[in-house]
Amino acid sequence: MIHNGLYNGVRIDDTFAEAFPMKATRLLITAHNLTWARHAAVSATGFATSVIACGCEAGIERELSPDETPDGRPGLSVLLFSMSGKELAKQIERRVGQCVLTCPTTAVFAGIAEGEAVALGKNLRFFGDGWQISKVIAGVRYWRVPVMDGEFVAQETTAVVKAVGGGNLLLLARDTDAALAAAEAAVQAMRRLPNVILPFPGGVVRSGSKVGSKYSGLMASTNEAFCPSLYGLVAKSELTAATRCVMEIVIDGLTEADVAAAMRAGLDAGIALGASAGLLRVSAGNYGGKLGPYLFHLHKLMEAA
Amino acid sequence: MTIRLRLRQPPSLRLDLRGLLPAVLSALDAAQIERLALAHGRQSLPLAEFFDVAVDGDGDTLAFEGDLSRCDRVGWQMAGGRIVVEGSVGDYAGACMSAGALRIEGNAGWLAACEMAGGELLVQGDVGDFAASAQPGSLDGMRGGSLVVLGSAGQRFGDRMRRGTVLVFGDAGDFFASRMVAGSIALGGRAGAHVGYGMRRGSLVFAGAAPTVAPTFVPAIADAPVIWQLLARDLARHGGPFADLAGRRVQRQLGDVAVGGKGELIIVD
Repeated sequence: MIHNGLYNGVRIDDTFAEAFPMKATRLLITAHNLTWARHAAVSATGFATSVIACGCEAGIERELSPDETPDGRPGLSVLLFSMSGKELAKQIERRVGQCVLTCPTTAVFAGIAEGEAVALGKNLRFFGDGWQISKVIAGVRYWRVPVMDGEFVAQETTAVVKAVGGGNLLLLARDTDAALAAAEAAVQAMRRLPNVILPFPGGVVRSGSKVGSKYSGLMASTNEAFCPSLYGLVAKSELTAATRCVMEIVIDGLTEADVAAAMRAGLDAGIALGASAGLLRVSAGNYGGKLGPYLFHLHKLMEAA
Repeated sequence: MTIRLRLRQPPSLRLDLRGLLPAVLSALDAAQIERLALAHGRQSLPLAEFFDVAVDGDGDTLAFEGDLSRCDRVGWQMAGGRIVVEGSVGDYAGACMSAGALRIEGNAGWLAACEMAGGELLVQGDVGDFAASAQPGSLDGMRGGSLVVLGSAGQRFGDRMRRGTVLVFGDAGDFFASRMVAGSIALGGRAGAHVGYGMRRGSLVFAGAAPTVAPTFVPAIADAPVIWQLLARDLARHGGPFADLAGRRVQRQLGDVAVGGKGELIIVD
């Protein structure tokens, strides 16, 4: 199956994805049923595709069955990533305050025990206007805030840990249908893994960016080398006449190994579809390896067992 | 090492054992321990007058043998290590302790765990009045740690308690959790009159017989399923009357509104 970087007809570029250190936390959101836990989780992780303008990158990690949650109710675990612990703390407070506290029947707990503690319910408690009550159970402090459906219970703090953001795969395909099929298959495979999220809509981003712009003040702009609409117009395109649609999958994970595992799962899913399904090439985005401390070489990922 | 202090016979007067802590004694040899001064009534006498001292092995355990029911302040201000009392103790057992583990295999007198701030205290027998409360004249009672009483409790249990978790497997006397500020107390047996008298906050769980609730408490019309599950699951690990709490239905009474309180009596059906 392997011929000079070809796997099932898909060319895996000899390149690497470049990722950055981030700060992350996991929250467990439970509710009366999974529907309402999902409403809260979707809302709290909404508008969180990129730290460029969203403040954080966030997504649903997985569903939790009642026997996995602290209160025995169904729930979801969500991961939030930001560039600094301070910004992450701000995002947690805003998002939990506006999207979880407000959502019927929900409660929120820390999903990571070890790490620097940042406020979860600690400041949201003041919504209780003096009627809030603290409860310490097994050494953990919770806040009980009276609300119209009973009470909102939130753990006082959650732990922030070091994490890795910006792992990515670029899927170069024959056409839109093939690119979407490959991207959807890769997303499905990657979402089965723990400790990672794919922050973009449906896990996929079509507006891959490069650093900088011709316009001063713009931090990022379109990556014209991967734009099929500019093939033949730009001085140096990464595309050929056969690769007419490109999709990117961005991965944030709690550790380098988590991001690597997700990238490998995405590669495997794409390769399983193969060139016959229209996926012609897989590449990755980087900045020359000078900016990010984490480099994920696609060939090394493929060599790993 | 393990230090064993065997009380030869009950002292004729009250004997104050404050200062006999694992961290203190482990730095001393047997002869030095024997010379430690203990208050016996109004006298100060060497420890060897009352106890046989044996030092051996590893670990940081201090073990007392004999009937220590006239010995007060066992584990007073304990801040680490482990004390085991193979018998009953006097008043103030585990009072003001902040860390470590104290196990009393018999009964404890008055004011056990009063102003306790941390650590674990297990009393396998009964405790007297004012356990988990404040020292006389003090405004704050127990403020942390965990107290488990396998027997029954006397009156004014948890008076002015403000933090920590307490379980009483047996019955409790009158004025259970009076003037409680906060914290959690679970009772497996029957409570006396005036439960939660003047309580401000805190949770009292009645896993056994339903108490007589004062008219200064109001029935809660809203459930609190989340915090109940968190609390019940934590209590359940102690077994006994608390083992199946998480699966049982509860009713709550809120108060004591006579003092503007917002505590809760959680009465398990």
